Amino acid sequence: MKSWISFLLPDDEYKEKRMLYFFSEGAIILFLSVIIMIICNRIFTINDVEIVLLLFVAIFLLYVSGRYIISGIEYTDIATEHSYKKEIKNIFSRTCSFVVIFMLLYLIFLDIPSNRNEWMEITGLLLSVGIVWFITSFISLRRSYKKNKELL
Amino acid sequence: MKNNVKIMRLKMSMTQEQLAKRVGVTRQTIGLIEKGEYNPSLQLCVAIAKELNKTLDDLFWEENLI
Repeated sequence: MKSWISFLLPDDEYKEKRMLYFFSEGAIILFLSVIIMIICNRIFTINDVEIVLLLFVAIFLLYVSGRYIISGIEYTDIATEHSYKKEIKNIFSRTCSFVVIFMLLYLIFLDIPSNRNEWMEITGLLLSVGIVWFITSFISLRRSYKKNKELL
Repeated sequence: MKNNVKIMRLKMSMTQEQLAKRVGVTRQTIGLIEKGEYNPSLQLCVAIAKELNKTLDDLFWEENLI
């Protein structure tokens, strides 16, 4: 079946089907959120439209990525203890590489922090993103490993 | 849906990974099909049947289940 959304979907048919469900569920939740927000807007006047719009984007993205992470369909080939431990190391090195490369690009192309507070800000942001990335990847890996082990 | 995929695969001494690679899906998908937790498309059923040298009846027809 051809659709413009195909480029966002994986080649594996099971994963493709699950992803379509996640996108559809996300779209319905987004629709309901908009309805609730319209009702809320009639009761309390909402001034900051930009934040509300960003909230909708966040709801959709969090729902779809959350469902993807806990479904255990990301690491389809991790079924042994050895490959599981190896993948944890890969996730750790990928996260560290991202933090280091982002920091270097930031310093080269954007700005070199001028005081201690600015250094704290950029380091804190990068560390938070790195930790969240590692934890979400770890949860996804753990769920995939558990699911794959049961299917052997 | 119950099926004979696992039995026929083991008879051919094939791993889940090998079958998955040959039919163009992931090992997880083959595992789910074997456990009856995912109903594959007709296209994938035919691909699996061809790889295992069996007919669709041998693999998926209720009366032929082992």
